[in-house]
Amino acid sequence: MPVRWVLHWQPNQGTVANSQILNEVTQCVDSINAVKGSRWKATLTFYRPNLRDQNIATDFPRDFLGISLMDQPNKYFFIIRGSKVILEADSSILTIMEKLQSYKPKVALHFDGIQYKLGDFQVRLIKVAPNQAESIRGILMEVEYLPTSSVEKSRKIMEEFLDIWREIVAKRSLPGQFMFADPSYADYGLSDNYSAQHAAIQYAAALAQLIQSVQSMRN
Amino acid sequence: MECVVQGIIETQHVEALEILLQGLCGVQRERLRIHEICLKSGPNLGTVASEVRILCNLEQAEPSWTVRHVGGAMRGAGAEQISVLVRTMVEAKASKNVLRMFYTLGYKLDHELLRVGFSFNFFRGAQITVTVSSINKMLKLHATDEAVPVTPGIQLVEVTAPATAETYTEVASAMSSFCEYLAPLLHLSKPGISTGVVPTAAAAAASLIQETDEFREKS
Repeated sequence: MPVRWVLHWQPNQGTVANSQILNEVTQCVDSINAVKGSRWKATLTFYRPNLRDQNIATDFPRDFLGISLMDQPNKYFFIIRGSKVILEADSSILTIMEKLQSYKPKVALHFDGIQYKLGDFQVRLIKVAPNQAESIRGILMEVEYLPTSSVEKSRKIMEEFLDIWREIVAKRSLPGQFMFADPSYADYGLSDNYSAQHAAIQYAAALAQLIQSVQSMRN
Repeated sequence: MECVVQGIIETQHVEALEILLQGLCGVQRERLRIHEICLKSGPNLGTVASEVRILCNLEQAEPSWTVRHVGGAMRGAGAEQISVLVRTMVEAKASKNVLRMFYTLGYKLDHELLRVGFSFNFFRGAQITVTVSSINKMLKLHATDEAVPVTPGIQLVEVTAPATAETYTEVASAMSSFCEYLAPLLHLSKPGISTGVVPTAAAAAASLIQETDEFREKS
């Protein structure tokens, strides 16, 4: 599948992502004559261990992520970031996890976006929220470069796209900017050939950045 | 959910069983070489202990992995009356690091075995799978090339069919009818109820082999 970069909105110190910023960013996409397409969704769920005794120290992860992507409806992805494990499985793995009762889904975050086509690029502007009704917790932008699946070969053109995009957004003087957290796919044992597993890792990395920015805001 | 019955047969009669199955099913057999790893939840993980099986199909050029959860058998008067065991069973195909993921999540190796044999998959009132395999144990961890039979001279025959809460009676009935054809060679019963080898097996096998030889000579 084509290479994607998931960018996250990094708000300036003392500010947060909100729907007005998302509106302005949407206007930026419209201003470069991108063709609006369909909606796009993904759900990220945090799983936490079901411990018999909370006081006993354990050597397994405090939590891990489950991801469902709209373009892979029969698949489900698990990511244990600390141990650099990515698993791709049939979505029936959810039923197995439910039956095992060893880990439980605790918190879900919904990624709700709109796709735009821009020449060789496909862009998705994504609102991150606990559910449809609740306010924005973060903004993501996914840039997909359709001609190649090679992470390395696409790097230069992606960087150029990101520079141009930042310039467009900068004209609006918004309180923040789009950042790219480049995950090391090799640590997860993945090759240069981009796949849905790469995409899942990027979402997990972008989400970690969003959480970090919210936490630093609180401190 | 699945319906299941099991039986055993002496290795010397397996060829006759294969001839019989080939005649009854009208499909080609598939070779079977499966490394089965049974994992159990570590202490303190999950409110109750849980068990999951990781299957690695070694018959393909690129081994494929499946997670299987086998639940408890259906109970009650209805379940007693039917001659097959009805139990929950969920499978999910997964990427190759599935074993690493479950170890990371706090699951421990309980035992492992290697099934070597063949299977027939066909529709006869239900989607029935018959597997005939020798069960082997590994003398060293994961050393499938050095596996030795658990019960030399005896192979396990398993007949399974997927079912739902609505269809299990019909599936059970279709399976029972099919199993009657195999009766001269082996007894099939609910797992855990050992019925041993059948006394008529040697004569039935000899007759089947003789008929096949005569057929081959004529054609």
